[in-house]
Amino acid sequence: MSSDTPGRIVTLDADAPDGGCPSPELYRRIEGRLGYPTDLFDTPGLLQGAILRSEHAHARLLRVDTSRARTMPGVRAVVTADDVPGLNRFGIVVRDQPVFCEDRVRYEGDAIAAVAADTLAQARAALAAIEVDYEPLSLVTDATTAEQQVPLHEGGNLLTQETFHRGDPEQAFAACAVVVEHDYRTPRQMHAFMETEGGIAIPDDAVGVHFRVGCQSGHRDAEQLADILALAPGQVTVEAMATGGAFGGKDELTVQPAAGILALKTGCPVMIHLDRFESCRAGMKRHPVTVRMTTGCDADGRLLAHRVEAVLDTGAYASLGPAVLENFLDHATAPLYRIGAYSVSGRLVYTNNGVCGAFRGFGGNQATFAVESQLDALARELNLCPRELRRINLRSVDEPGSRHQPVRWTAPPVEVLRQAQASPLWSPEKGSRGRWLTGTGMAMGAQGNGLGDGLPDAGGGRISLSREGRVRVEFGFSDYGQSIGEAITHSVCEVLGCQGSDVEVMLGHSRGPDSGPTSASRSSVLVHGVLNRMLPQWMEAVRRQAAELTGYPGDDLAHGPGGVFHQGRQVLSYRELAEHGRREAMVADASQDFPVAPDQDHPVGRYLQLQIATVARVRVDRLTGRVRVTDLHHITAAGRVIYPPGYLGQIEGAAVMGLGMTLTEDMPAEDGRLRRDNLDQYLIPTFHDAPAQRVDVLDGTPENDPFPVRGVGELGIEAVAPAITAAIEAATGVRIRTLPVEPGVLLTAIHAREVVS
Amino acid sequence: MNDLYRASEPVTFELNGETVTRSVPAATPLLDLLREDGQCTSVRPGCRIGRCGACNVLMDGQAMPACLIMAWQLPGRRIETVEGLGGDPDFLRVRQALVEESALQCGYCTPGFALSLVSGLRERRQGNPVDLGEAIAGNLCRCTGYGGLKRAVEKHLSPCSSTSSDGGTVSKKQISGEPE
Repeated sequence: MSSDTPGRIVTLDADAPDGGCPSPELYRRIEGRLGYPTDLFDTPGLLQGAILRSEHAHARLLRVDTSRARTMPGVRAVVTADDVPGLNRFGIVVRDQPVFCEDRVRYEGDAIAAVAADTLAQARAALAAIEVDYEPLSLVTDATTAEQQVPLHEGGNLLTQETFHRGDPEQAFAACAVVVEHDYRTPRQMHAFMETEGGIAIPDDAVGVHFRVGCQSGHRDAEQLADILALAPGQVTVEAMATGGAFGGKDELTVQPAAGILALKTGCPVMIHLDRFESCRAGMKRHPVTVRMTTGCDADGRLLAHRVEAVLDTGAYASLGPAVLENFLDHATAPLYRIGAYSVSGRLVYTNNGVCGAFRGFGGNQATFAVESQLDALARELNLCPRELRRINLRSVDEPGSRHQPVRWTAPPVEVLRQAQASPLWSPEKGSRGRWLTGTGMAMGAQGNGLGDGLPDAGGGRISLSREGRVRVEFGFSDYGQSIGEAITHSVCEVLGCQGSDVEVMLGHSRGPDSGPTSASRSSVLVHGVLNRMLPQWMEAVRRQAAELTGYPGDDLAHGPGGVFHQGRQVLSYRELAEHGRREAMVADASQDFPVAPDQDHPVGRYLQLQIATVARVRVDRLTGRVRVTDLHHITAAGRVIYPPGYLGQIEGAAVMGLGMTLTEDMPAEDGRLRRDNLDQYLIPTFHDAPAQRVDVLDGTPENDPFPVRGVGELGIEAVAPAITAAIEAATGVRIRTLPVEPGVLLTAIHAREVVS
Repeated sequence: MNDLYRASEPVTFELNGETVTRSVPAATPLLDLLREDGQCTSVRPGCRIGRCGACNVLMDGQAMPACLIMAWQLPGRRIETVEGLGGDPDFLRVRQALVEESALQCGYCTPGFALSLVSGLRERRQGNPVDLGEAIAGNLCRCTGYGGLKRAVEKHLSPCSSTSSDGGTVSKKQISGEPE
């Protein structure tokens, strides 16, 4: 792509691609026929499990007495740390979280014991009968001073720190005409998937334990679970079932360790399904960030210097915290903009405030909120239009990334900006006087695909012909509603010239191909790459079989609807091929490493980059300080759209999740207690809070681009928060830098301005 | 714990057109009663405090969260779930609208939304003006951002659209180069 190719822009709607039929999967879901892991009540001999959580955020465990609980009606097993067959630790990056605490609890959700019983009521009654003596310890509640407090883990409360440097920031600041410095805070957002964490573990004498759960990486979970259960890797099977939302919150193990131990202990299948109260208390959250940013530019608005000092609160255990910190810092370098010199540093600390891990955006959107706010602050100081300031500083597609790594965009950033500038939302709304203050603002964001930084990041798939004569495509990815099955089906149909009903997609089985985790917006890229490798092999193998069966030369045969064709006429259906051909010869496997920059010895950051610009229009109520986002207009540059309804849904859904984080969502911690325990206090957006949205896709990738497909699961959340706070500033003159926006704080600031002026 | 929670008593009610009798403690939530034998797992727990709508059922035609209906309230009542609505014209219309607009992702909350919409359509057919946006104000969806639901309601379920697919489509706009 050359930098002057503007690309083409399309406004997305939800029509099925190419006028095709809507996915049958949609009907199954609407009619309630899709079984979720927590729906599996028809499993024979199923027991119900429940987990005892700590009453204290930080305490020594003096005594755990389960003797009375064991004698209660219906109880089949009570397990504690003593019953963990293998390693009593888990964690994707650092295995520092106990399955059951041994001598110390570090947050209110820490697990101490678990019960399996005939009914959930019996299991809960038994939990209440477990006697636990605690000796409370002093709490670590303030992330910014955590390192000076009592250490929660060996090695202290600083889990990791990292700094990215470029040039000489001090010298560059000295040359700046304008410097702005502000503090920003982002909330402890909760995933709030509608299906809370859960699933079942089924013991199997011959094999070990079979898990049917909501999770994001069947293969990786199977490895961790084998270690916990002291089983060989081949004895643990994880079926990552279609689950009721994940967003990162099911990336780490949730109920699996306790369910697996109870299943082994009782010899029966065990279901554990956290209720919302327990999910709020024990489940993962988004890392709250406290960050000071100092940014300077010359008199013309050219960015010269940037300094970032951040603290991320990972809570009691690491989970994916170190990777979140890296992605936060990556985004804090302002990847879209040229900055001569920067020093971007962050610290990830342990506290007793719950536990934080992966969440859509993965630290990136927290950083973008602050970076984009800084740009607006500079524009204000210079009396320059914020869009003009961005235009001056945006990178071109030919430049390396902010960490000097090679990057690959799908459209010029300045073109994305131009589209945002042309949004109809900038025209003033009629009748905006009186009680309602209206304003429009925008922000931009960049986001990379893949795990990045040279981490192992491969993924594979398999294609075969089922006994019933359907084209079976297998990937290890989990389905949590992101339309990945539909995207795979659509891509396969396009190449084979067949119909959706010819294809069956099987996902998320740890005995199937390992595709790596369903995270980091990596699935779409890998699905596209792997299908491109294995479909030609498979088609060739099928044609060879068809040639043997029909006598036609293989080269004269072609794939088409329902089977194989010769001179436009179907000569064998897939069903006939499955019946009469050798099915074992009609299998193709492929895997590939996630695309990284070529010729890079020490990869940093991410090679495949996406962009979004979000324009927001808000109405602020002068009587209450409440903010209503009426419109969001997104311009995305994220490669080719494979399945339009899926793409649209990802951007819209992520944006409303970002809206929630901006306006209402927070899980405040006081003395180590998370203060919201259900969805009546923790407020996620409802139908009436959702704005009108429009998604325009800008795609400049040429036909022969090797990476035309990118993952958009996280892109929509990237720029929403700073776009909304910019719109609030346009409406009221007040810039909010602590999320979520408190109506009282905003109202006070509005009134203060009115008194002054 | 008193007898409301412990002593089982038979309750008889209508479930998806059939008369059923279950022997359960009087304070058993309908949510558990429907799920625990694996019969109606479209009724799903999301909050258990009546906030999220994932466990909605129709009780005498009205959408209600099953977590707040206790067994003792059931005798003589008519309960419907999506499992029993396969031939219901209002449900089929709602289903088509949701499909047309891909108004769902994970689908966990979807039966609850569908029942709220069916309840609204039925009320509207009885001559009451019903805002379907109000009808689903008590249902939470975390995946979609409600975009597809908004389109389904506005394009396919508004009072003037009599069939499921007459709502007109947003034209696919393609512009090359410079924006308008």
